[in-house]
Amino acid sequence: MSTLPEGLHQAFIVAVGELGMACAASLFVESVAQEDGTDGVAALRDALGRSFPVLDAVAEQWLAGARALRTDPTAILAACEGASELVVVGLEAFFLDALMARLPPRTRCALLCHSPFDVDWERVLSNYSGRISPVNLESFQSWAGPRSVLLTFAYGVGGSSTHVLPAWVRATGEDVRMQFRSLLAWNVLQAPMFVYPRWLVEVDAASFTHVFQA
Amino acid sequence: MSTTQALLALILLASLLLQAFLPARRLVVVTAGAGLAALASALLGTATAPQLLADVPWDVIVILVTLGLLSQLFVESRVFGVLALWATRWSRAQPRRVLLLFTVGMYVVSGLVNNLTALLLVLPILLILFKLLGVRQRYVSWTLALVLVACNLGGAATPIGDFPAILLLGRGAMSFDAYLVRAAPATLVALGVLLTLAMILVRPGRQLHEHPVSARLTLATMGALYRNVRVEKSRLLPPAAFLGAMLVAWVVVPLESGVTADLVAWLGTAAALVAVGSLGERIVRTQVDVEATLFLLSLFIMVGAVKRSGLFTEVARWLQGLPIPPLAQLCVFLVAAGLLTGIFSAGPSMAALLEVAERLAQQHPPEAVYVGLALSVCAGSSLFLTAATSGPLAQALTERADLRSPSGEVLRFGFLDFLPVGVMSFCVIQCVALAWGIWAS
Repeated sequence: MSTLPEGLHQAFIVAVGELGMACAASLFVESVAQEDGTDGVAALRDALGRSFPVLDAVAEQWLAGARALRTDPTAILAACEGASELVVVGLEAFFLDALMARLPPRTRCALLCHSPFDVDWERVLSNYSGRISPVNLESFQSWAGPRSVLLTFAYGVGGSSTHVLPAWVRATGEDVRMQFRSLLAWNVLQAPMFVYPRWLVEVDAASFTHVFQA
Repeated sequence: MSTTQALLALILLASLLLQAFLPARRLVVVTAGAGLAALASALLGTATAPQLLADVPWDVIVILVTLGLLSQLFVESRVFGVLALWATRWSRAQPRRVLLLFTVGMYVVSGLVNNLTALLLVLPILLILFKLLGVRQRYVSWTLALVLVACNLGGAATPIGDFPAILLLGRGAMSFDAYLVRAAPATLVALGVLLTLAMILVRPGRQLHEHPVSARLTLATMGALYRNVRVEKSRLLPPAAFLGAMLVAWVVVPLESGVTADLVAWLGTAAALVAVGSLGERIVRTQVDVEATLFLLSLFIMVGAVKRSGLFTEVARWLQGLPIPPLAQLCVFLVAAGLLTGIFSAGPSMAALLEVAERLAQQHPPEAVYVGLALSVCAGSSLFLTAATSGPLAQALTERADLRSPSGEVLRFGFLDFLPVGVMSFCVIQCVALAWGIWAS
């Protein structure tokens, strides 16, 4: 029987703002597993799973045998072929790291600095050595164009729907959709979420040009 | 005291008290006070506005502004983020070590950059660590308070760390190296005593249950937040090289050459800004600390008006006329400096008390008076949370962080939370100041 420290909720919020829900969840699951093994991961899921459904899903996958996140960006890179601008809505740090490491330098990249959590965007962006520019909801359309791509992270695909951050819905109104060459979703979870998807909104998977599975 | 002296002193005191009680309006209060002081001075025939402006120690303002710009260049290099990550790793996420490392780290950083910049660099990282570690009120109060006191001590340790020491350097009261070799050891002693008392008697972390999962999560999360952050050498090297050159120039170049401390700061910072290209232009356009500059300019005008009335000379004469030995007079002056700083804050106290100190320095060894005064001002700055500008900033940053204990209670950092540490720090630093004054005399 594992006993986790109190106050993990606050600690997880620190991580989730600047790493993303799936990456923070993976980091916490791995760290707890190294100290307390399977019991610890189960306890973590019990403690935080209802508040953070993505953590619940990641912990469940870990308990089912999945280990590291699959961050291979090959399919995304193929979909961005020929793009001159890439605007990322939402943050999953380890996925974005993998993408930026292989994205051609000629493709300019921006990150929509909008989050339901407290985020030090300067620190987030300093991990990318100036390759990613900050944009907000008012200014990101200046990156639109026939060779521009919008990308977000999706959290599990179940049937015809998936879940994304609310910022995606705010950013991609009918007027915006037509201004970008393609709208991509990078599904970072291996399976749909089990508990109520707090922090996220459900959208039709068909509303994306492509949904890629990590 | 003449009517002119009383009126000008009243304007100064009223402005200082009002800005202390209304920190949100302090800039308006002191600029209005300066305008009133200039008007009263002109109407009473003490000095005209151009004369008061000519009395302003512009060299001090030049040093403050240029060092502030140099600090921003260091910030842009991301060196402090990387240092914070190292400090976290060295601490192994143990609360006791976190307290020690961040307190000592703040002392070192604030010796090189101004206190507000140092706080803005270090405190957000410390607050993240608090959230990750899951700390309690007692630990938060003592750690933040000790970090603030270390910030004051670091500022007093070097001639470029904070306004009081910069004023001594700018006015030529003490040379760079003469101040450094005396103030740095004294402040280190004070820091050592404070940390020893805190760690042995108070033990702020004693109620915390150190959990291996907490430590691992803290280290993993901090590592992830800074996973690819690297020091930008192209941005770090120019300010580092030119700061090194400035330090050498401050020590080596004699004042009689005409190359004064402010000129060294001006040229060194300008060269560093030129060396970083367009970043330098952006920093000059956006990062000049107008608030601090305007605040000090207003203070200098009010203090200058009182000085022109001859009041400070009379206070010095009164002090020297006290029927006690000269050494006791110095001790009275140093304790009064500490207490006045606690109420009026460091800038106003130092600006006014330096006029009196200059008279005392004719009777005592100058280093005994000036270093003693800088230490006393540091003691006063550490007495109340509101005594130094870094205090309210730390309070605001902590409130904004919405810190909670593991059981969910909101963790505060206010006046009363700071007070026990403030009183202890005041006593320790003031004792060091007195011991220094007696020993050096």
